[in-house]
Amino acid sequence: MTPVIMYSCRVSDLFRNTLSIVTAAITFILTLSLYGFVVGGGEIQLTLFEVLPNLEISMRLDLLSFCLAALASFVWLLCTIYSVDYMAKEHACGRYYPVFIFTLGSCQGIFFAGDLFSLFVFFELMSLIAYILVIHEETEEALKAGYKYLVMTIIGGLALFFGMIIVFELGGTVSLGVGVILQEPSMLALLAFICFLIGFGMKAGMFPLHVWLPDAHPVAPSPASALLSGIMLKTGAYGLIRVIFHVFSPEMLQSVGWNNILAVLAVITILLGSAVALTQTDIKRRLAYSSISQLGYVLLGLSILNNNAITGAVFHIFSHALMKSILFLAAGAIIWKTGLRVIADLKGIGRQMPVTMGCFSVAALAMIGIPPLNGFLSKWTLAMGALDAQMPLYVLVLLVSSLLNALYYLPIIIPAFFEMPGDNGHDHHDHHEFEFNIQEATPRMLSVMIILALFTFIFGLTPNNIAFSLSRVTAEFLLLGGAF
Amino acid sequence: MFAAVPEPVFALNNIYYTSLPLWITLVPIIAGIGIYFLKDHWEIPRKVLAFLASLAALIGVVFLFPLSLTGTVSYDLIDFMQLGLFFKLDIIGWVFAFLITLVWFLATIFSFAYMDFEHNRRRYYSFLIFTLGATLGVVMSGDFFTLFLFFEMMTLSSFVLVIHEQDIQAMKAGILYLYLGIFGGLALLFAIMMLYGATGSVAITPALELLGSQRTAIFICFLIGFGIKAGLVPLHIWLPQAHPVAPSPASALLSGIMIKIGAYGILRVAVILYSSESGSPGIADLSYLFIIGNVLMWIGIVTMFAGASMALLQTNMKRILAYSSVSQIGYIATGIGVATFAGVEGGMGFAGAIYHIINHAFFKAGLFMMVGTIYIYTHELELPRLGGMFKKMPLVGVTFLVAAFGIAGIPGFNGYPSKTLIHDSLLIYYKDYGLLSIDLAEKIFVLTSALTICYFIKLFRGVFLGPVPEKLDREYSLPFSVNFVLGLFALIITGIGIFPNLILERVLVPAAELLNYEGYAMDHLNHFNFFEWYPVKAMVIVVILALLIYVPAAYRGWFNWKPPWWLSIHALVYNPVTHLLLDLTCRSGVLIDSSVDTAYDKSGAAARKMCSYLGSLDSGIDKFYEQSGKTARKLADRSTDMDAKLDDFYEQTGKMARKVADRSTEMDSALNEAYLKTGRAAKKLAEQTSNAERKLDSVYDKAGSKARQEMERRLSEKKGKRGFFDPSKWSTKNLSFDTLLLVLVLGIVLLVIFYFGRAN
Repeated sequence: MTPVIMYSCRVSDLFRNTLSIVTAAITFILTLSLYGFVVGGGEIQLTLFEVLPNLEISMRLDLLSFCLAALASFVWLLCTIYSVDYMAKEHACGRYYPVFIFTLGSCQGIFFAGDLFSLFVFFELMSLIAYILVIHEETEEALKAGYKYLVMTIIGGLALFFGMIIVFELGGTVSLGVGVILQEPSMLALLAFICFLIGFGMKAGMFPLHVWLPDAHPVAPSPASALLSGIMLKTGAYGLIRVIFHVFSPEMLQSVGWNNILAVLAVITILLGSAVALTQTDIKRRLAYSSISQLGYVLLGLSILNNNAITGAVFHIFSHALMKSILFLAAGAIIWKTGLRVIADLKGIGRQMPVTMGCFSVAALAMIGIPPLNGFLSKWTLAMGALDAQMPLYVLVLLVSSLLNALYYLPIIIPAFFEMPGDNGHDHHDHHEFEFNIQEATPRMLSVMIILALFTFIFGLTPNNIAFSLSRVTAEFLLLGGAF
Repeated sequence: MFAAVPEPVFALNNIYYTSLPLWITLVPIIAGIGIYFLKDHWEIPRKVLAFLASLAALIGVVFLFPLSLTGTVSYDLIDFMQLGLFFKLDIIGWVFAFLITLVWFLATIFSFAYMDFEHNRRRYYSFLIFTLGATLGVVMSGDFFTLFLFFEMMTLSSFVLVIHEQDIQAMKAGILYLYLGIFGGLALLFAIMMLYGATGSVAITPALELLGSQRTAIFICFLIGFGIKAGLVPLHIWLPQAHPVAPSPASALLSGIMIKIGAYGILRVAVILYSSESGSPGIADLSYLFIIGNVLMWIGIVTMFAGASMALLQTNMKRILAYSSVSQIGYIATGIGVATFAGVEGGMGFAGAIYHIINHAFFKAGLFMMVGTIYIYTHELELPRLGGMFKKMPLVGVTFLVAAFGIAGIPGFNGYPSKTLIHDSLLIYYKDYGLLSIDLAEKIFVLTSALTICYFIKLFRGVFLGPVPEKLDREYSLPFSVNFVLGLFALIITGIGIFPNLILERVLVPAAELLNYEGYAMDHLNHFNFFEWYPVKAMVIVVILALLIYVPAAYRGWFNWKPPWWLSIHALVYNPVTHLLLDLTCRSGVLIDSSVDTAYDKSGAAARKMCSYLGSLDSGIDKFYEQSGKTARKLADRSTDMDAKLDDFYEQTGKMARKVADRSTEMDSALNEAYLKTGRAAKKLAEQTSNAERKLDSVYDKAGSKARQEMERRLSEKKGKRGFFDPSKWSTKNLSFDTLLLVLVLGIVLLVIFYFGRAN
């Protein structure tokens, strides 16, 4: 039952595909097996060993960890399955799979970390390992993007380290299990907060630290970019949640107004990400910028710091993970099959790959926030949070961003389904009939996307919405200071 | 089908809980999805399914009539999407629902004939039926959240109907429709969220007092959201583009039904949400309502006038009808506006608006289908290339004439009572308030009605009269379904026109009573006689005015004037504004993004410069170390020299020692010899003196061992001295610089540890 197993990495070259899937599946199942325990309100705090006095590697499990770990391992499992076909065409699989699974391990490690120090260790581990995924193509572009990623990661890591040292100095502990560490605001505490903001914000793609993201995500292989966007960005948000609720306290942050720093940055991030996405011509770059703006939603929810907003933020982590994974996987399937990645070339692709584009459309509509899908629910909850905080301006920001979402997703979807390839301005009365010239991706890739698309429906539509109620409970749990 | 199965109904204070509304919406939605998965060539099952689904919805709605007349039908799914799906159907909603299902049913039947000429039928039927479900959902929803959900579904699914042709024109129109639809949806969402923030609920109930300071913003957002769908004037631009490009049955539904959904929303907001809970708003609220009602009325007036005058200038049949729809929505908005500003006295305007919604649905849907019938047989939409169709398709001509009379408001046809009601309400409130604005509105109303007649004369003349173009001169035989549908429309139009009081008394008065309308207007409404001279006189004036306008204008060809592009609202407002906004967001976004990027690059470059500076510093230090290293080496060399000298010295002493040793060895051997000799001599003596001999022997032995010990000591001494001063091992030459640094660092670390250890 200990979460420790989960980050143990098992690698073999011979049966690596099967083994990777099995590992991911085991991780997922193990994580799920914690469900009953966690929902009952249980917490585990487990110290593995001490590095220095009061500085130990420890594990901790509570609702929030469970939510994110379950989500991460679920998406990871699906992406691994997807990889099997996708990577068959690629080189260096022997490097890819171990790294892929290892990153899963360190990611789970982040979510199960019991103190800031182990969080930091796993965070760095994940970031550095993910570098290998980013540069997988080994083209000049990839290497350049990877270099940028690496530099930013290291800056972030150092900021994090500095913040941690300050917290250790002020509070004498970095454990996340003891409640609020820093009670009083001071210059040093502010410095620590800013350091954490830089460290985790860098990972979460927060303005102005987002520059690595639109370079790094598109160059990685698609399943990896799905994970980079869908899950790894969330570790930044997760770290911020932990810092806000366990190192500082929401009341304190609100009383000194530090959350406003986060709010302003989040608003800029949202608008900037959406606006720039509009100008991109590469499909994966557009998705990457969209990730920036979506993470802005999560950060905005965190900065508002009330029940609805936190629920919205946590739920948006869920929904964005699902939506963005679909989008990246679908884009990956298109690139894999046709080699096209410029949006203007994707006319009529919906007729060639209807299922892929169908999933893409579902996810894009969810992004825009069309009601029966999960994106609407998270936006609604976030907006309610903003209104609870008497900030209708934030609602306006959310909606403007939704409009921009529509503006940059619909020009992908509409031509994909309703225009002919090579349709350049003159009428084609002769081939009006739908010509489904189906050249789909492999069933395995499709099934992954379909499962994810179904989940966007399930998390939006169904009355017993596990993800949503979990987010709700988590928000309450966090606001009560980590105790029921 | 499900909907036909009656659910158990529990009456509870005139609120009926039944899941029927849910099924009425779900059946078409499920059927629509189902149709999409039927095979392409399964024509018959597809048609049957579409027919059954729309029929089921119709029957379901009819079944709800007695319930909604005596109370409210409601049903909720609490957990749906965490917010709950709530259906509520009162008599107003029922009117809409009935209208939707009936017109949809007829349009579906009409599609069977029409769509045989079209491609992609599977997609068409699927989305047609799906949209029916979504549209029904809008009018049956009990709160704004449910309404919004179905509203968005309707927008998205009807998009597919709009772009059905998939040519450039259709795509352009469709995309405009979609973007404006989504924009409207978001405005609506914003309004709903603000409403929720202000009142804590999304229910459609009177809440004027609760809205507080945000009520104007909320109202504007609602107005934008619903106004786009309805096609109110500054927001109507999508309508004349989108309606003509859709297949005719779909345009009939778009024009006849879907824009009414916008009107329905405005009605719900203006008349219900913005009314007081107690029924009698305070003075301040009254004046507020007066303002928003006036605004709404004037939007309506502008819309009706602009739509009518634009319709006059068109030559495409469907575009004329589309602009006519804009104009007619103006009538409806005027009615709602009047109902809003008049407060409890607003019964007339309210009844007129609803009545006109009903009538417009019938005649506009009918007109689109008639035009569509002509189109499928002639493939021609432009007026100059048509003509003489009355002879070729007499039934279409007659029904067209009936519908045109309806829309023109000729007594005896259905447009007449509703226009009369709206007109009368304007007159009454002018009498009550004596405001110039209402008077002016009434004048424009009359003028617009005259223009309506003008463009229908133009349309009718263009299509049905005159010579038949040669290309189209052949026999046409219409299928039964077309004849049936068009005939039914004509029948409904005349039926309502001849018995106008039937709907008024059965439906509109109960609806008005539900909203607590009272006073003079209601009395008037209750005893309204449409065939008195006084309302008919107004219509006669309109007709005369119309003729006065039409005859000279047609004679001089004014209607063929094409307004230049720069005069259109696109060129004047929309294109600049959208371009400006897009440019602004994108440019500034990209600018910020790239500037951040360059900032990083520059800071990176600066850091590199700093690094190179540090590097030079470093190399300076390096040089220093090198030099010190050199001096150290010199030192070391010197010490090596010294060492060598020492070595020499020791060697010499060693040699000397060896010489000493040799000498002593020689001495020893000499001694030995001497002793041997003396030994021999002594042997001789031994026999004599053995005791003395032994003593002597031991003495010499001792001396010998002593000498050997001495020699050994000297040797070992020399060896030891050589080992200790071994120059090859103990020279600074071999101490590399790294080690030195290492040692230094270690020393510092030790020092630090020591220091801190002491401090603790």
